[in-house]
Amino acid sequence: AAAMLKCGMSGSQVKVFGKAIQALSRISDELWLDPSEKGLALRSVNSCRSAYGCVLFSPLFFQHYQWSTSVKVNENDSKTSNLNCKLGMKSILPIFRCLNSLERNVENCRIFTRSDQCKVVIQFFCRHGIRRTHNVCFQESQPLQVIFEKSMCSNTLVIQPRVLAEAVVLFTSSQEEVTLAVTPLSVCLKSSSDEPMDLTNSVYSEMFVGPEEFDFFQIGVDTEITFCFKELKGMLTFSEATHAPIAIHFDFPGKPMALSIDDMLLEANFILATLADEPSRASSQQSLCLSQKQKRSDPMCSPNNNSKTGKNVTSKAPGCILRKTAPKRLYPNETQIDIPVLENCGSPIMKRVNGGDISEVPESSISDTEEMPGSSYLRKFSCMFFGAVSSDQQEHFNHPFDSLATASDTEEDMNNVGCRNSFNGTAANYFCII
Amino acid sequence: MKFRAKIVDAACLNHFTRVSAMVAKLAKICTLRISPQTLNFILSDKVAGGGVSMWCELEQENFFSEFQMEGVSAENNAIYLELTSENLSRALKTAQNARALKVKLTNKHFPCLTVSIELLSVSSSSRIVTHDIPVKVIPRKLWKDLQEPTVPNSDVSIYLPVLKTMKSIVEKMRNLSSHLIIEANLSGDLNLKIETELVCVTTHFKDLGNPPLASEDASQDRDPEQMAEVRIDIRKLLQFLAGQQVNPTRAVCNIVSNKLVHFDLLHEDVSLQYFIPAFS
Repeated sequence: AAAMLKCGMSGSQVKVFGKAIQALSRISDELWLDPSEKGLALRSVNSCRSAYGCVLFSPLFFQHYQWSTSVKVNENDSKTSNLNCKLGMKSILPIFRCLNSLERNVENCRIFTRSDQCKVVIQFFCRHGIRRTHNVCFQESQPLQVIFEKSMCSNTLVIQPRVLAEAVVLFTSSQEEVTLAVTPLSVCLKSSSDEPMDLTNSVYSEMFVGPEEFDFFQIGVDTEITFCFKELKGMLTFSEATHAPIAIHFDFPGKPMALSIDDMLLEANFILATLADEPSRASSQQSLCLSQKQKRSDPMCSPNNNSKTGKNVTSKAPGCILRKTAPKRLYPNETQIDIPVLENCGSPIMKRVNGGDISEVPESSISDTEEMPGSSYLRKFSCMFFGAVSSDQQEHFNHPFDSLATASDTEEDMNNVGCRNSFNGTAANYFCII
Repeated sequence: MKFRAKIVDAACLNHFTRVSAMVAKLAKICTLRISPQTLNFILSDKVAGGGVSMWCELEQENFFSEFQMEGVSAENNAIYLELTSENLSRALKTAQNARALKVKLTNKHFPCLTVSIELLSVSSSSRIVTHDIPVKVIPRKLWKDLQEPTVPNSDVSIYLPVLKTMKSIVEKMRNLSSHLIIEANLSGDLNLKIETELVCVTTHFKDLGNPPLASEDASQDRDPEQMAEVRIDIRKLLQFLAGQQVNPTRAVCNIVSNKLVHFDLLHEDVSLQYFIPAFS
């Protein structure tokens, strides 16, 4: 039997669904449709793995929702696999354009696909008996998922989208990064001071918001995190469709932050990498890890830091790992790696990774290596690695690398497989899923 | 050099925001001149601007509840700042429901015009928004290029039609030609003409009225029906018209035959003069 998804929604539900797709399109050009018993998840990861978005629609969101996995029976065992469906945003975004008019005209929308066909069928049953059918080809690809423990973040803010929208209006669309600075007494959103000040253009803006404006305000650690503005805006436009408050979970610079919306029918999570502080004293080893921001539109890309070899990797290869989850068998030893640079910076994790064995990344997984100029640009974004989603979550958790071994053969997964060899782990607290 | 000013009245703030938005449409980079009584937005007729120049003047006491400035020196009590107009306009737009807006000249690694806004939020707590707009202080020796332009002796002076109408006509004409001829006479007739190889289009406005003659001599002998014309770059005219979001209180067009067209507008209490040279 093939893996299958079949669901239906009303016109107003289509609007929310379409808004989710639009928000995820700000992250990348590809979208995974990932059905499970929890509902239909739409996932997107950007090419340099520094932003991840997932909108999970519960089965209750839909008028009807059916899904199944495929079962392959071999000699000794049977293997279940999900629908591994990846769509191009260029194909699907135009279908969900003009959401207001869709909401008005569409009475019913049905989405249907099977893993043995190569297309997703999206049908709009509109007024006046009009039926519009879209066939979108999909690529078979195992979705990536980020594991992020929101509850373990020391700082949590919950705010009405309107307030965030009012803050966001301050910044121009040319602003690539913004900084969120929090203390127990105040929250400030400001233009990132990293970017070189261009006299003709860059206005520095900041907005202070008092704690009373938040629905929930818990600041454990005074901190300033810098992240990509474009992705924040993406989440914000989606939140306007749901009217639910936005929760922001974060810790220190370098650790990813989460923007999430949780209402009864759906759960949206945008996990964004944040800029890591570099230490003030950089050893020669460290300086080789220094990366330059890519000049393209994707500001978050950071070439991988191959400290020992001095090579660096383009945005395609993942960077560093920052997530706290329970230590697992891969990292039984809590040995501290001897890192030449002392940290008085906010990102110890970054350091360990830098000092670690990234150098073992095999050449084959790295495309377009280039010599890293000794850059004085001291900051970089950390990227995140992701685990491939397997149908058995528990199995994945215990043997994350095993699940990677079953990942499909697309190039990005090759990168993942390659990189995992490198990471022999450092402190037990930090779990790398590549 | 010092400058600090405050606006507390909502109507004044909105008006100032509109003026700034208009300037942003007319000049990408402009000079802000601060003097004890007035604020000016200036675009001088450099080649870079295509010879277009602009002089916008407002009386500071019509806008600011507090206004203090100290110029370069006692004899030269003015400050000339160069800035990207859109930066100021955008910053002011964020002050929609402000309780108060303060502008001051600051030095944060480099000179800035700092706009701080106290916003009243729904939960009745205040939000403080600050924008630091980078500016360049213009040295004294360049001030001579930034003085109020002398109003030329025009051949014809006429009131303009509704600017929105004019704009939509010029927009259509722009698709056909890159130059446009403005001609007018002292009988209240104004024509906008384009001539290409394939087509000529003329739009006639009648009974617009002419302002009373300023000087007795020159225009006395002029035949009221005789047109004075000037050929200008259509995009410059369009840029000027696009900047006028609201129809002005008073709008006069002065034509110096084959040389220059001078638009003299009054938006409530803010005067705007805009000069477009003849196409050479």
